[in-house]
Amino acid sequence: MSRGSGGGYDRHITIFSPEGRLFQVEYAFKAVKAAGITSIGVCGKDSVCVVTQKKVPDKLLDHTSVTHLFPITKYLGLLATGMTADARTLVQQARNEAAEFRFRYGYEMPVDVLAKWIADKSQIYTQHAYMRPLGVVAMVLGIDDEFGPRLYKCDPAGHYFGHKATSAGLKEQEAINFLEKKMKNDPQFTYEETVQTAISALQSVLQEDFKATEIEVGVVRKENPDFRMLSTEEIDEHLTAISERD
Amino acid sequence: MGDSQYSFSLTTFSPSGKLVQIEHALTAVGSGQTSLGIKAANGVVIATEKKLPSILVDETSVQKIQILTPNIGVVYSGMGPDFRVLVRKSRKQAEQYHRLYKEPIPVTQLVRETAAVMQEFTQSGGVRPFGVSLLVAGYDDKGPQLYQVDPSGSYFSWKASAMGKNVSNAKTFLEKRYTDDMELDDAVHTAILTLKEGFEGQISGKNIEIGIIGADKKFRVLTPAEIDDYLAEVE
Repeated sequence: MSRGSGGGYDRHITIFSPEGRLFQVEYAFKAVKAAGITSIGVCGKDSVCVVTQKKVPDKLLDHTSVTHLFPITKYLGLLATGMTADARTLVQQARNEAAEFRFRYGYEMPVDVLAKWIADKSQIYTQHAYMRPLGVVAMVLGIDDEFGPRLYKCDPAGHYFGHKATSAGLKEQEAINFLEKKMKNDPQFTYEETVQTAISALQSVLQEDFKATEIEVGVVRKENPDFRMLSTEEIDEHLTAISERD
Repeated sequence: MGDSQYSFSLTTFSPSGKLVQIEHALTAVGSGQTSLGIKAANGVVIATEKKLPSILVDETSVQKIQILTPNIGVVYSGMGPDFRVLVRKSRKQAEQYHRLYKEPIPVTQLVRETAAVMQEFTQSGGVRPFGVSLLVAGYDDKGPQLYQVDPSGSYFSWKASAMGKNVSNAKTFLEKRYTDDMELDDAVHTAILTLKEGFEGQISGKNIEIGIIGADKKFRVLTPAEIDDYLAEVE
């Protein structure tokens, strides 16, 4: 007769449950939602934009130190949704890896290579008992030399895909439903449309209008492949454009 | 591998003599997307469903069928991330063999080494078994070959096999349709028909993947356009 639930350990470390599931990985996904933030990423014709909420829980906090958007290299950005501490360790390792890649091979690490590296690292945590999976969903963005603007999403299970648009965090499913409608006929968004689709998606699923200080926006563009975080003024311009459009 | 704190195996025998972690791994495989392989007289074909979680996913960024050496390809059912690890290890093993013997690794050897890796993870400390079953398709001096490797590390050579969600229907279908003197083209058609059996929704070149290897000993993944051509022939 089967021993059943693996001695109860299947909920504590990443071994299989009787149904063939990894509970620790599933709990890691829940931890991403528990952080209470939603993020959106949209890939346009010649630019990629990611948007996330910026919640500063205490007025005494230095709001410039509260961020989920990290440059990995000059050309690659990473938006980490979920546990901030796990996010920082992932970013630190990613920065190291990207710098070594540049040194070792003499050219910049492409977006998909970084995404694969992050996903493979996450897979190790799902298979080895000594480390738990990270409670982070990472969206990696950049302009690829061959393929143009690219957006990848890596999750705690070790999956990674390229996306035309995607979301992560608390209202992930609602946002994906919204984006599926927008991206249905494979629109080739311009830079402004890309940014505004991302921001209005976030506004729509959270059902609130943002101030420029309440969101973070990161972009890469073909004409300027440096990963850049928009300033409050630029965010304001886009917010105004959206409200005038509606 | 693993931390010294976990220097005990997580996969241990139950009182009835079973290794339940391996059984659970097989359950994980059984809930994965259907994949299958058919060995023809002059080649091998492997195929899989490619159902992506959303239309927002860029399907060109995903390739489930992977090439291990120029004449050996592999497909899986089960957990994608675990598959990537095995692909990486297998490629390295093939390359190490080549460095030592200056010739391409025979299919049986590569399968054996990959299976050995999978077995290690059922016995080593602090790790769990791989949640994938592999179908390895290759063509070497011994002709076309198709092997299935399970999470336990056991492997068998097959004339035709299927894995994943729809395994029993697919295998019944294959048993009826298989003939020893099938040509590669017939095998591709049969593979498509088998996938179609359990397919939910409209089958197209974008939501299945097919890899073939013929007497030219070059494994390649068909483009969506080529798959659509085969689909039209099958209609």
